[in-house]
Parts: sequence; structure tokens; C-alpha cells
Amino acid sequence: MHRPARPVWLSPLAPGVLALALLGAPRSACAQGFLSGPIVFADGHVTLGGNISATIGSDDPGFFNYTDYEHSALRMLRIDLSGAARLAGDHLALVGELRTENFHDLQPYALYVRVRPWSARAFDVGIGRIPPTFGAFARRLYPSDNPLIGYPLAYQYLTSLRPDAVPATADELLRRRGLGWLTRYSIGNAAADHGVPLVSAFRWDTGVQVHAATASGVWSGTASLTRGTVANPVFHDDNSGPQIAGRLQVNPTAGLVVGASAARGPFVTSTAARGAVGDGRDREFTQTAYGADVEYSRGYYLVRGETIVSEWRLPLVRQPWLTLPLRAVAVAVEGRYKILPGLYAAARVDHLGFSRIAGSATTASWDAPVWRSEIGVGYSIMRNLIVKASFQHNVRDGGPLKRHENQTAAQVVFWF
Amino acid sequence: MKRENPPSILCFRVVVAILAVAFAFPAAAAAPRAPRAGAIRGRVELRKLPAPAERRMAVADLGVPIAAPVADLASRARSVVYLESAPRGAFEQSEPARVVMDQRNETFVPHVLAITTGTTVDFPNSDRIYHNVFSLSKIARFDLGRYAAGRSRPWRFDRPGIVRVFCEIHSHMNAFILVFGHPFFALTDLDGRYRIDNVPPGTYSVVAWNEGVAGDPRPVTVPDGGVAELDFTLR
Repeated sequence: MHRPARPVWLSPLAPGVLALALLGAPRSACAQGFLSGPIVFADGHVTLGGNISATIGSDDPGFFNYTDYEHSALRMLRIDLSGAARLAGDHLALVGELRTENFHDLQPYALYVRVRPWSARAFDVGIGRIPPTFGAFARRLYPSDNPLIGYPLAYQYLTSLRPDAVPATADELLRRRGLGWLTRYSIGNAAADHGVPLVSAFRWDTGVQVHAATASGVWSGTASLTRGTVANPVFHDDNSGPQIAGRLQVNPTAGLVVGASAARGPFVTSTAARGAVGDGRDREFTQTAYGADVEYSRGYYLVRGETIVSEWRLPLVRQPWLTLPLRAVAVAVEGRYKILPGLYAAARVDHLGFSRIAGSATTASWDAPVWRSEIGVGYSIMRNLIVKASFQHNVRDGGPLKRHENQTAAQVVFWF
Repeated sequence: MKRENPPSILCFRVVVAILAVAFAFPAAAAAPRAPRAGAIRGRVELRKLPAPAERRMAVADLGVPIAAPVADLASRARSVVYLESAPRGAFEQSEPARVVMDQRNETFVPHVLAITTGTTVDFPNSDRIYHNVFSLSKIARFDLGRYAAGRSRPWRFDRPGIVRVFCEIHSHMNAFILVFGHPFFALTDLDGRYRIDNVPPGTYSVVAWNEGVAGDPRPVTVPDGGVAELDFTLR
């Protein structure tokens, strides 16, 4: 089975050298003085920021932590360079971010124009490769925003579904249970490739987004029209319909945030849909997702919970038919408690389940359910330099790959 | 029974005794008087005003973040001038003081505090949203947790040094607290003017500090009961 080659930087010494470089440089430069915040120039019109994280973890033969960029989230050197250019005060800004993972390639993670027509009103329009509308975790995109090292399953775990290739029968889908890391189907793109998570945390979609908030800031809402779907954000449209997504958020009291999200759009590419059922029907094969999230913090603790339900409608090609919609339900609860100044402990419990479909010989969930629990600690050497360590236990109920896996990981995070 | 003298007679006797001593020992009356405290005053000129801290870049943030309040920009012009070496007796215990550093419009107000050791600083939250004051400075490592509007949490500063204070939730919120073991320091006004009073006469090294930048120590001699002038230029 194909597996990406280990990048050069993953030699045993490399993360240590990087960590030392990160630890040493700022310390020698006068407390918080060295790159302790964004770099501002051009009379304050241009702001540059950066996030660097180096993660080293134990081997992942069960591919529990692989992302849709085919890297393990627990073995990754990630460098983000973000910038904003204010072109007309607060009315117009160009916002972008470049990201590289393991130095493989440089991705334009975000690139959009943000328009605020009225200075006094919280009403903004984003156009381009825009921030996620759906869900809560997707906007906590930097490792320093994640109290642990691993990601919630809904945003990272690769299911066996692909937008560019579809199974002809329920049996074919059932044969791919637990193989979201690398899968292939008989219709559409015949090459083996990874599946999609419920919601991608590693890519942004392209389109138009409108965000508004009440003057008090208690209520806010976001709506967007994009080319891809939450599971498969794209830059170039690959089917004939846009995704509509919305999110409503309320902060009824300080420390409490409650959000609800929904998104719906064509999931299957035109090519795969044509191969399955002929021309002109790709709008029917959709991904619909619903999400609810809550966050409460007070004193030294913070608790978050998020659930996401995603339903896919794929072409029905041959018997035994797929039982539509193919549903996946993810539930994650995480907490963080500060033990001492700069030191915290965190934990997350996560489950990803799938609806059942009937094959010719058996009835089972269309993908193998997964449980993940992770505990960890984080320590701030400086405000913008954090070291983390975590232990992760993964269980997958099915599939040919390893079903139980314990993983340890360490991470150094630096931001400016 | 012993008869007590009335108070008026007692006062008269004391005055007579003092006069007698003064006339009998004229040398004693001419003894050197105690030195009178002086002052140091001047101005700290900033070649360049320090830029306000920008909030951390987060391309996923929806909406336009609020701009730094104008008052916050001006407050960065305030510097601290202090004696590098304090006169004898300067480190005597003083009454514990209590001062306030407010959190208002996502800004610490004031942006700079200069206090003596033993001072307790209250950090009220005057915003509608949560704040979380913390510091990872060596001399004061603390985290006051998240607390809502109307609440306040204190921290007592017992060691001299410079403390940087941040909000865990709002990356652009930061402030300085300069903790001194002596009382010979002053915060400049927005024009950079300062005055350190009650300085015993003598020669001292004086330092000016602004937003993490300290100038080289400058010598100054405070005359008996007089005022020494000393200006600084920073940045």
C-alpha cells in the first residue's frame, strides 16, 4: 500500500534542533521583545504574522491522524505566514495566508478581500478563499488555539468517501471501511487517493461570505456561497452547483458561546457523476451538514463541545444499492484547566459514527466507527512559545488496518 | 501627698531650660542642620512614539477587529524615570499601597504603572467580555483566570523588576508594571515631563525607560534643597 515518503525534516534530530532554535532565539532577545507580535509596516497599513509548529509523534500504522494533505497531524512541521493589507482604512483589506506542511509545497490557505461598507456597523463581506462559515473548530486554525496536538475527528479523520470517485454498490463501499487514508472506487477517478473528513480543517473554500453582528455583539451571523463543500473545499469548481452555508452564534453572557451551523452543496464532481448516472445530475449528489457547538469558560477552566452531522447523497448505480443518505455523526468534548501560570492540562473525547447500509452478505456501518481520547499538557515558556505533550488512544471498529493505537506526541508552537 | 504642677508652669520651665542650654552652649545651636531634600525634574523626549501592539494575525477571524483606542496610543508616550541607585534609607518599609490597572475597551488602563514593592494592583474588568490577565515575567508569574465585567482580581508585587502583563484572550492587550524597591521614580506626563521629589542631596545615576527601552544611566547631582534638571532622549 502506498504511503508518503517520510520528509527529510522528520529525521530524529530535526525537531529538536528546531525546538532549540525557537527556544533560544527569543529568550536571548530581551524577554518578549523578539517577534512578540505581528510585524507592522507601511505606516500601519500592512501587518504580517506567523505561526510555526513542529510536531513529532509516534508511528501511525492505523492512519488515524492523517489529514487531507496526506500528512500525519502528529508528524508535521507547519509554517503559516499571514498578512493583511489595509487598502482603504477599515473599509477594504486584502487578507492572505501561505502555508507549508513539511516543506512539501506552499499552499495559499487563505486569500480574500474583506469589505466593510460602514465603519460603524459590524457588517463585512469577504470574497475569495474565505474563512470557514461552518462549525467552531475550523476557525481555531493555529496549533496555539488547540489545547491538544491532535484534531477533532470531524475535522481531520478521513472517511472512505471521495468527491471524484464513487462506489457502484453498497458492497464496494463496505469493502473500503476504515481505508479513508487511501481508497479507490470503480466509478470516476480510478487512481487511489484519500477520502474526505466531515469538515476539512486544512483547506478553505472559495466564494463570497457575509458576516454581521448586532451592536452589542451578542448575536452574530455568517452566510456564504462557495464552490466546494465543507468536506471538500475547492479553489476551482468541480461540479455545477454552489454550496450554501450559514452559522448563527450567540454570546448570551461572558464566557458562553453557542453556535449552530448548516451547509449544503453538491459533493460529487461532474466527472464522477457523469460516470455513474450520466450528464446533468451532479447537483443531486450533495453533502448536507449540521453542526452545533458550545463553549464555556470561567476562571481557570474552559469546556467545549461540538457535534456535527453530515449526510451525503451519492449516485445509485447498481444493486445492492447504497442506503441514502450516508450519514456520519461526530461528537467531541474537550476541556482545559490551568494548573499554574503558563501550565495547563487538557483532554478531549471524540467519537465518529456512521449509518448502516445493507450489502449482499452483511449489514454494517458504511465506514468503521472511531473513538479517540487524548490527554495532554501545555507549557508557555513565553507568551508566544508553547510546548505541548499529549497521549492519544484511538480505536476503530472495523477495517483491515490496525484497530487500536496509542500515540504520544510533542509539539513546539511559536507565533508572532 | 505630692502636688502636681499645672501645665502652664511646666511649659514655662521647658522654654527656660531650652533657652538656658542655647545660651550656655552656643556651639550646639550652630550645629549643621539636616540636609533638605531636593528634586530631579526634566523631560523625556521620544524620537519615535512606540507603536501600539497589534492583535495577533488571525485570517479566520470574522469581521473587522476594533482599532486601538486613541488614548492607548497616547499613553505609550509616557515614560518612567528612576534612580538606578537609591540613597540610604530608601528601602525602609512603607505602607502597602493599592493601585488599579483597569481593562477597558480591550486595553489596559493605564498602559504603564510604576509602583513600589508590596503594592497590590487591582485588575478590574470594565468590558462586557471576558479578560484573563496573566504574566510570565520572572519576578511575577501569575494568571488571574477569566472573569467577567464588574469583577476584579488583585495581585501583589513583592519583587522589584519589570513585569509585562497580557490578556490571554486578546493578544493586543499588554501593559507594563515597573516595580521599584525605593520611592525615587516618576511617570512622565504625555509631554514627557517628570519630577522626582524628596530626593536627598547627592549624586545619583538616573535612568529613563519607555516601552521596554531603557536609556543609559545619566549622573545627576541633587543640591541641598534644590532642583536638578535632567533631560533624556530615547529611541
